[in-house]
Amino acid sequence: MSDWIDLIDCAALEPGDVTPVTLGKRRLAVYDAADGIYVTMALCTHGGADLCDGYFDGHVIECPLHQGCFDIRDGRPLGAPVTRPIKTFPARVVDGRVQVKL
Amino acid sequence: MQTGEAISRRELKQLMKRSDRPGLLRLAAWAVVLGGTGSLIWAAGRDPWLLVPAMFLHGVVMVHLFALQHECSHYSAFRSRWLCRLLARVCGFLLIIPPLFFRYEHCDHHTFTNQPGRDPELIELPASLWHYLAYLSALPYWRGQIAGLLRRATGRLTPVEKRFIPRVEQGAIVRESRLMIAGYLAVAAAMAGFQWTGPVFYWFLPLLLGEPVMRFVRMTEHVGRPQVADIATNTRCNLVSAPWRFLAWNMNYHAEHHFAPSVPFHALPALHARLRAHLYVETKGYLGAHREILGQVCAARRADRQGSVL
Repeated sequence: MSDWIDLIDCAALEPGDVTPVTLGKRRLAVYDAADGIYVTMALCTHGGADLCDGYFDGHVIECPLHQGCFDIRDGRPLGAPVTRPIKTFPARVVDGRVQVKL
Repeated sequence: MQTGEAISRRELKQLMKRSDRPGLLRLAAWAVVLGGTGSLIWAAGRDPWLLVPAMFLHGVVMVHLFALQHECSHYSAFRSRWLCRLLARVCGFLLIIPPLFFRYEHCDHHTFTNQPGRDPELIELPASLWHYLAYLSALPYWRGQIAGLLRRATGRLTPVEKRFIPRVEQGAIVRESRLMIAGYLAVAAAMAGFQWTGPVFYWFLPLLLGEPVMRFVRMTEHVGRPQVADIATNTRCNLVSAPWRFLAWNMNYHAEHHFAPSVPFHALPALHARLRAHLYVETKGYLGAHREILGQVCAARRADRQGSVL
């Protein structure tokens, strides 16, 4: 059984963008999208670059290295060169803090 | 060079912002120029003294469609990714550069820029003046492009290609080659069936005449720079005049592009302003870069001759 884990204050998020957060050994990417908060693993499944340094638009995060893209809602790859999905995690906001379920 | 030394993460993110407007404006201007050079071909009639220069001029503009295809491959020419995909396909068909194949090949070029044996787009420093001129003729380039397309259409990929194309995408690469060949055959059939010579004078011959200019430009990006994994030294930023920047979709700011490939063409001049002290800048443009390349070619030849005498 997984519990919700406090991740970061909402106030610390980069507004409308993606914020890097380290949780234990995991590097996570927290997205401040128009319709809520999303969380994925931070490293691209293609070249291993940090998605938090990439361009975020709508629900799409683009890798800064090769411009491969993922849909942050379900992690599915959206075109070459990425072919493998990125892991996503359920997220919610409680009392101004982002929580994630691993 | 670390990002933070030259530009903050926040500034870089600002420069990554996409928009359809600059790309559409550039595309419209491009279409006007292409229409203009096409009109010159029409006005030249069949007088070879006018026709060949007109086709050359048209070809120089056409081969720079590569700059648009390249930008679209990075999904940065337009905010709309479908527009990037569409134009990458159109340009790829016109230039015989399979867009999906190029996308994968280009990714490895960015990962292993100018590293021998690893960068699939690496152009070696010519071994002699003769090799330099042969490369600029673009004949080896066309032979490679056409042979590669035909080979992949038969389902054969080289070990290098298998390295940068994921297994699950190899079938798509083969299908892409077959579709492109089918497209060319359809054009050929239409030309034969309707005695249509338009593609010869407005497409094929201009491409052949113009491609040496693109080879000349492409050489300036990395050839002659240190073959090391360091963007600060292995890539040139070429400062060129406005018409060349227009044709190249600002890709003369090549070192800046390699530093941050997510930055769209219209933001590259601003990125250059922030990074110019940290990158290799060729202030004399394409000609300056070729002077450096030719200097290295001649120096290598002299060293070879001295070595063989000793």
